[in-house]
Amino acid sequence: MSIMEIKQVGYSYDNKKKVLKGVNAEMEQGKLYAILGPSGCGKTTLLSLIGGLDSPGSGQIYFDGQDIARTGLSDHRKNHVAFIFQAYNLIDYLTPAENVSLTSKLPPLPILERLGLTKEEARRNVLKLSGGQQQRVAIARALASEAPVILADEPTGNLDEDTAQDITEILKESAHKMNKCVVVVTHSGELAKQADVVFRLKKGELQVLERIDDPSAQPRSRRNNTSRSERRGR
Amino acid sequence: MNLGIRAILYSARKWKKTLLVFFLLLAITTLVLSGLAIADAQEEQSEELRGVTGASFTVNANNGYTLQPVTDEMIEEIAAIDGVEAYNTSQWTIVNLYNQDTLMKGTDEREGVADLFYGSGCFDSEYSPLFLSGALRLTEGRHVTDGNGGIILYEGLADKYGLSLGDTLEIKNGNPDDPLVECEIVGLFEVIADDDDEQATMARPSTFYDYEEYIFVDMDTMSAISTPYTASEGNGITSVDFFVSDAAKLESIVQEVQNSTSIDWNSYYITVNNEVYERISSSIADTATLITMLIVVITVVSMMLFVLILSMSIRSRKRETGILLAVGIAKPAVILQYVLETLLIAVVAFPLAYLSSKQVAGALGTLFGKAAQNVIVTPEHFMLVAIVGGVLLVVAVLVSSISTMRLKPKQILSQME
Repeated sequence: MSIMEIKQVGYSYDNKKKVLKGVNAEMEQGKLYAILGPSGCGKTTLLSLIGGLDSPGSGQIYFDGQDIARTGLSDHRKNHVAFIFQAYNLIDYLTPAENVSLTSKLPPLPILERLGLTKEEARRNVLKLSGGQQQRVAIARALASEAPVILADEPTGNLDEDTAQDITEILKESAHKMNKCVVVVTHSGELAKQADVVFRLKKGELQVLERIDDPSAQPRSRRNNTSRSERRGR
Repeated sequence: MNLGIRAILYSARKWKKTLLVFFLLLAITTLVLSGLAIADAQEEQSEELRGVTGASFTVNANNGYTLQPVTDEMIEEIAAIDGVEAYNTSQWTIVNLYNQDTLMKGTDEREGVADLFYGSGCFDSEYSPLFLSGALRLTEGRHVTDGNGGIILYEGLADKYGLSLGDTLEIKNGNPDDPLVECEIVGLFEVIADDDDEQATMARPSTFYDYEEYIFVDMDTMSAISTPYTASEGNGITSVDFFVSDAAKLESIVQEVQNSTSIDWNSYYITVNNEVYERISSSIADTATLITMLIVVITVVSMMLFVLILSMSIRSRKRETGILLAVGIAKPAVILQYVLETLLIAVVAFPLAYLSSKQVAGALGTLFGKAAQNVIVTPEHFMLVAIVGGVLLVVAVLVSSISTMRLKPKQILSQME
């Protein structure tokens, strides 16, 4: 059963440039979703709308069957979703442990240690950590929040290959072992290959790629909600 | 993590910003507290000046000495009006003084009679025109008042006859058959008026007496010695001077007196004496306005500077605001954190400003012509500044936060990229 449902969502910058045109999608817990697309196509905007950082110009976004515009975006951000930003977006006067505790009552150290930070690093000034370590802190903050949906915007964009692979593994684990619905906006083909479902955002429309392990495969429109195999079976 | 812990952590770890705001707040609060103390000192000085200008009004009988005197009831009624500090009348007569022990010389048939004196009956000799003008000054004892009588005489006269406070004199009017009234010496005066004062060195044409030959007694004594000469009805008082505690209120008090329905104003009229106050009131008002303006300017400019710095500080925290909102912290909680951070600084800065202003206010006061010891920062000033300052700080944070808080989290974070 889908936990997030996007229905006919449209969005335009300054009421002029239309970046999303009637986007539809359904997302379930326990799966890793990747959204691909060229720069400026509206991937981050779509992620922001799913996460309640902004309101769509048209259409609705549902969490667990409830319209988030009605239940409140602030409440949605607080209880339903957790963000991982490309720029990490950590609070600079808090330690990694305190950043994780920002929205969680869980003890931060076990989560940080699981993500590879030592106790000493967990109490250091967050800006003195490497980019990979800061991204781990951002992921730890998202995981500790206990939100069922994790939204990640280019989480491996600033990282070297090895660290990027580590982060990808963590996100997969979050989806498959922790039963989270993980939605990742990425340019990374490697990350997309490991996703359970891959969307491509093109000309304002969201399409599901036919073969998950091949991002270059022919897409089908998400609006056409039936797959080729399903059509063949009829 | 609750907002209180976040506020404390921010204040401690961003200590340079915290110190900047702290010193700014300390300086502003010290200046405002000093300004309030200077304004109060100015007000006190103004009140004092208004009180010592001798502003008064005189209720005069229209119809002469014997027909319709100013009655005791009228005097009591007017004296009871709020703002009337004292009242006095001056009843003059020529008297002889006697003392059995010292044998004062005189022209009377009895031994011990002194020369003729010019006697004044008063309700309160402190308010006699001669004492008010500074021509005479009490050097020992007290003034005579209504119900607390006695006699005040020139200290040189007392020396001459070996008299001192507590000794008794007998006093009577000029004729041999006039009644003798016993009085205790309760005060001695010196003559301040110099030789240029016509009244001090020679008799006024109407009296032939100089100040050394003046004596002052209460009205009961005056009535007793004047019995043979007073009219059959009334107290014989034709005018009474009423002195007000604040010259600025003279007009309204006079208006209140004139509104009294129990007084027949066809028989009386009022004259007002506020010449001295009129002369100095404009300079008092100018100084007070200058000080008030300076305090207002200091406060407004300081607050603008403070809001500007807070605004810059909060603007520099735009990214943090966006992150906090993105992770689900509500806008009011974010604003409250910023308010709390500022109030945490204020909690330390305000009491320290109270202490520092106690040192600074006096020195600043001297720039405005105030004696340093008269410029006092009181706990009331502190309470006023703490309450109003606290409210202004909250408003300043709210105003500084408006531009950021109106944006959605995505807009804030987009601006930071």
